[in-house]
Amino acid sequence: MAVISLPYKYLERLTRTDRKTILDKVALIGSDVERVEEDHADVEFFPDRPDLFSPEGVARAMRGFLEIETGLPSYPVKPSGISFTVDPKLADIRPVLGAAVIRGVEFDDESIQSIMSLQESLHWAVGRGRSKVAIGIHDLDMVSPPFRYIASPRTRAFVPLDYTEPMTMNEILVKHPKGRDYAKIVNDFPLFPLIVDNEDNVLSFPPIINGERTRVTIDTKNILLDTTGTDKRAVAVAVNIICTAMAEAGATIESVGISGVQTPTLAPVERTVSVLECNRLLGVDLTVSSMVSLLQKMRFGAEPAGADRLKVQVPCYRADIMHDWDLFEDVAIAYGYDKIQDLPPKTYTVGKPHPVQVHAAIAREVFCGLGYLEVMPFTLTNEDVLYTKMQRTEHPGVLRVMHPISIDNTVVRTDLLPLLLEFLTMNRHRELPQRLFTVGDVVDSCHTHLQAAGVSTHRDADFSEAYASADAVLHELSIEYSVKESADPAFIDGRRADILVEGKKAGIFGEIHPAVLNAFDLEQSVAAFEIDLRCVLGSAGMQDIS
Amino acid sequence: MAELTQNEKRLLATLEKEKKADASHFAGLLVATPEAVVQWAYLLQDNGLATVERNVAKEFTYTDEGKVYLQKGLPETQLLQDIEPGTTLADLQKHEAFRIGFGQLRKKGLVKVEGTAIVKVTGASTEVYEQALKNPSANDTATKEIVKRGLLQEAETVRYIIAITPEGLRFAQKGLDLRGETGTLTREQIISGEWKDLNLRKYDVIKLPKKAYPGKVHPYQRIIAEMREILLEMGFEELYGGIVQQAFWNFDALFQPQDHPAREMQDTFYLRETLPLPEGYEKVKAMHESGGETSSTGWGGTWKEEKAEQCVLRTHTTSVSIQHLAKNPVPPVKAFCIGRVYRRETIDTTHLAEFEQLEGIVMDEGVTFGNLLGILREFYHRMGFTGVRFKPSYYPYTEPSLDAEVYVDGIGWIEMGGAGVFREEVTAPLGINFPVLAWGLGVSRIAMLRLDLKDLRYLHRSDVAFLRETPSLRKTKGGI
Repeated sequence: MAVISLPYKYLERLTRTDRKTILDKVALIGSDVERVEEDHADVEFFPDRPDLFSPEGVARAMRGFLEIETGLPSYPVKPSGISFTVDPKLADIRPVLGAAVIRGVEFDDESIQSIMSLQESLHWAVGRGRSKVAIGIHDLDMVSPPFRYIASPRTRAFVPLDYTEPMTMNEILVKHPKGRDYAKIVNDFPLFPLIVDNEDNVLSFPPIINGERTRVTIDTKNILLDTTGTDKRAVAVAVNIICTAMAEAGATIESVGISGVQTPTLAPVERTVSVLECNRLLGVDLTVSSMVSLLQKMRFGAEPAGADRLKVQVPCYRADIMHDWDLFEDVAIAYGYDKIQDLPPKTYTVGKPHPVQVHAAIAREVFCGLGYLEVMPFTLTNEDVLYTKMQRTEHPGVLRVMHPISIDNTVVRTDLLPLLLEFLTMNRHRELPQRLFTVGDVVDSCHTHLQAAGVSTHRDADFSEAYASADAVLHELSIEYSVKESADPAFIDGRRADILVEGKKAGIFGEIHPAVLNAFDLEQSVAAFEIDLRCVLGSAGMQDIS
Repeated sequence: MAELTQNEKRLLATLEKEKKADASHFAGLLVATPEAVVQWAYLLQDNGLATVERNVAKEFTYTDEGKVYLQKGLPETQLLQDIEPGTTLADLQKHEAFRIGFGQLRKKGLVKVEGTAIVKVTGASTEVYEQALKNPSANDTATKEIVKRGLLQEAETVRYIIAITPEGLRFAQKGLDLRGETGTLTREQIISGEWKDLNLRKYDVIKLPKKAYPGKVHPYQRIIAEMREILLEMGFEELYGGIVQQAFWNFDALFQPQDHPAREMQDTFYLRETLPLPEGYEKVKAMHESGGETSSTGWGGTWKEEKAEQCVLRTHTTSVSIQHLAKNPVPPVKAFCIGRVYRRETIDTTHLAEFEQLEGIVMDEGVTFGNLLGILREFYHRMGFTGVRFKPSYYPYTEPSLDAEVYVDGIGWIEMGGAGVFREEVTAPLGINFPVLAWGLGVSRIAMLRLDLKDLRYLHRSDVAFLRETPSLRKTKGGI
C-alpha cells in the first residue's frame, strides 16, 4: 500500500477548499486516513490508483468528488523539439523508453519531496520494484539534446548521484547503495542501458541510478523525464501520471520525439458503455444524464451517445480502467456506497453442509464426550517434530515449502499426533489428567484430507485407554475396522496396533514410546491414537478440490 | 448458624459435661486425633458455641552431656570446689573438668591468676547456672546459656484448651442428635428403606466445589461453527478444498497478473510440486494477454504456462470457490468455505503465516452489487454487529470492490472483510455467464476481539488452563 503525505496548505490551494472538507470525504473515494498531523495528513491509497500517489493527483480527484471542478481535465502538450534515439541492441535488455519535457517548474523543498515520493511510489506500484518501469528526473538545463538511449559496455564510467568521483557501471552495482539494491535486474546482461546527451554526458543508468550532473535542485526550472522499462503500457502510465501531476502543479508539458514518434500526448482514451449494464451490475436505477454527471464527478469526460449509451473519455492517468466495470465502480463511488439499496438476493436456496465437515463435527462431539479438550495446532511444522522426535521415517507425501520463514515452519503436517505431543510439552505444568484432541487437515502430496487424533496423559494412561477411546470414535462414525499389531516406532512394542479399514491402514493407537516421551520432554505415559477420516463411509472422493 | 456436623455435635456433648479441657483429653474421650478435635472445636468457635485457646509452652530436655552434669555438677562448679588458697594452674590441669570448666570460670570472671596461683574472686558462685540446669525456665538468661552450651534442648509444645461458652451450654442442653451420620447412600440402604432412619450428612453448600474439566471444543472452533451455522441458515452450501493449490487457481484464474507482488516468493509459500493446467486454460491466458472477448484490455505481455503450473499453499479460499464455480456454472450457486490460508509473513502477535478465512460467493442471474451489500449486512447482523458500513476498496479480482466495517463499542469502526463482484475477466474464461458476488473475512480477527487475545498465536498454541477456563457460551455484546 502507498501512504501519501498530504501537506494541508498545498492541498488546500490545489483543491480550492479547506482541509476538513477534504479529509472528511477522502475515504469515500477509496483510501484510509492513517494519521492526521499538525501540518499534513498521511493517507493510504490502493495500488490500482497510482494517479492518487501525489497531492496534485489527490487534489484533482477531490475537486471532482466535491464538485468544485468536474469532467475531464485537459493537459495541452506542445512539441519541445527535443529528440531521443533508441539503440536496437536494447531490444532484449530494456527496450521501452518514454520521455517528456516539463517546463516552468517552481520547486521548494516540499514539492521536490513530493515528486520524489511519487517517483518511489510509482516504482513500487507500477514498476514492480523498477524491473518493469524505472523513472529518472533530470535538470534539463545541465545537458544538451538530442539524447541517446544506448546499450553500453559495463566498464563505462560516470559520476553517479550522491558521489563525486566517476565509477564504472560494474562498480556501481557493487558499491553504490542503489546499485546493490537493484543489481539483480540488470546483472545478467552483457551491456547496460544508458542515457547520454549530445556531448556524451551521462544522464542515467536505468533502472539503477541517475548521474550527479543532472541532479534536480530548488533552482531547477526545466525537467527532462526519462522512463524506461519492459512494458509499453506501464511506461506510458508512469509518464502520464508524472506529467499530469506536474501540470496540476503549474508546469507546462512538452513532448519529445522518440525514434520519430512524438510522446506523450496525454490524450484521453475513449470507451462507450451501457447505462443498463451499469444499473444491472450495481443494482441502481440511473438515467443517462445522472450517470453522465456521476462520471464527470470522477473526472471522466462523459456524454450521451444514444438511448442507453455513454461515450466516456478516460483520462490518460487512469491506468486502472481496463474494462467497462471499472467505470461502473467509479459510478458507484460517485453515487455513494451508502445510498445503494442493500437487499439480499431473492432466489430461494437451501444451506448444505459439506459431508467432510459433518464427519469432523461428529468426531469433535465424541472426543468431548470422552473428556477430551480440543486444540488447534498450526499446520506448518518441521521434520524434527513430525519424524525425528517420533522416531518415524519421513512420510512419502510430505511437502516442503521452498522459502520457509523459519526453521520451525518448513513442512506442511502429514500427521497430527506429533503436534498434540508438542502441546503436552507446552502444558507440562498444568494439572493432570490432560486429554487433548484435534481434528484437522493434513496433506499427502498435493491432496488434503481430515484426520482426527487424541492423546491422554496421566499416571495410568495406557494401551487399554487408547484402544477404548479410538474404538469409541470409530464406532460413533460407523467405521468398521479390524486391528493388527503395529510396527510404528513412535509406540511401545506390544502396546501398539494399526487400525485397518477394508484391509488398508487407517489409523494407529497405543502407548507412546518412552524414547519419544523423552524427546518431547514428557514425564508421564501417554495413550494416543490417530484416525484418517477418509475411511468414513461416503467420504471417499470428496476430500478436496485441487 | 451453619448446621453442626456429627463430630461437632459429639464434641459439644462432651464439652457439656467436661466444660473445659485440653484437646488431647477430648481426643481420648471421642476416640479421635487431637488435630481433628481442634478442627471441630474451631468450627464450634465459629458458631460461638466454644472457645479455643492456643497455648504455646516451652519444654526442656537434657542432652547426654547435660544429664552427666546434672549428676556431677557443671564443670566450672566441679573446678571451683577444688580451688583452695595456693592452688596452681598445674594442679587444676590434672582435673578432668579443667578444659571446659576453667574456660567458663575465666569467662564468668570467677577466678583470677596471680603469678602461678589461681585465686577465687570474692563470693564466686556458679549456683545460678546449677539452678538453671536443674529447673530450666523459658525466659531465664542462665537457662538460655545452658541451652546454647548444648546441655539442654528447647522444644515448643502447643496445647489447645477447649471450653464451652454459655451459648454452647444452652445449645447442648436443648438436646443434640447424636445418631451416626451416613455419607454416600448404599444400594442396600436405598432399596431396604433403611434410608428413612438414617442421619444423612449435610454438606456445607457454600464451600467452593472441586474443579471438574469437561471435554469441549476450542473457543476458536466455536466461533467458526457459529459462522458456519449462520451461512447454512442463509442458504449457503459448504465447500471443502485442498490446502495445496495450483498457482493457476490461486492467482491466474482470478486475473491476478503474473508479475503481481503478492505472487512473489516473499509473500506466498511455493512448493516444488507442479500440476498440469486444466483443460481450457488458454482462455485464461488470452484474458491476461489481451482481454479475450470482453471489453477488457487484459494485462498485456506474455502469460507463461510454467508460472501457472507451480503449486502454492493457498493464499485465500477463493481458489476453492472459483473451482466450484467453474465446475458448477449453472445458477444459482450460493456457497461458502472456511479454511486455513497461508501468507508468507513474519509471525508476530497480530500476524500469522496461516489463519482461517471465511469466504462466501453468490452466483445468480440478476444479482447486483446492492445484493452483495445486503448479504454482508445480514451476515454481520447475525454475527451480532449492529453497525455495518461499506467503503470503496481494491481487490485484483473484483470490481466494484468494497471493505466492510463494523462498529464495536469502545473501539469504533473496524475493518471486518473485503468483498466485490468478480471481474468479467475472471468469470468469462471459465464459462460463468452471471455475476458472482464474493466476500471474505479473517476469522481470527473476530476471535481475537471476542476472546480478548493479545497474541494471535495463542489460538494455535493454547494454554490448557486458558481452554479450561474459557466458557463455551461467552457473553457477547454487539458481536464481540
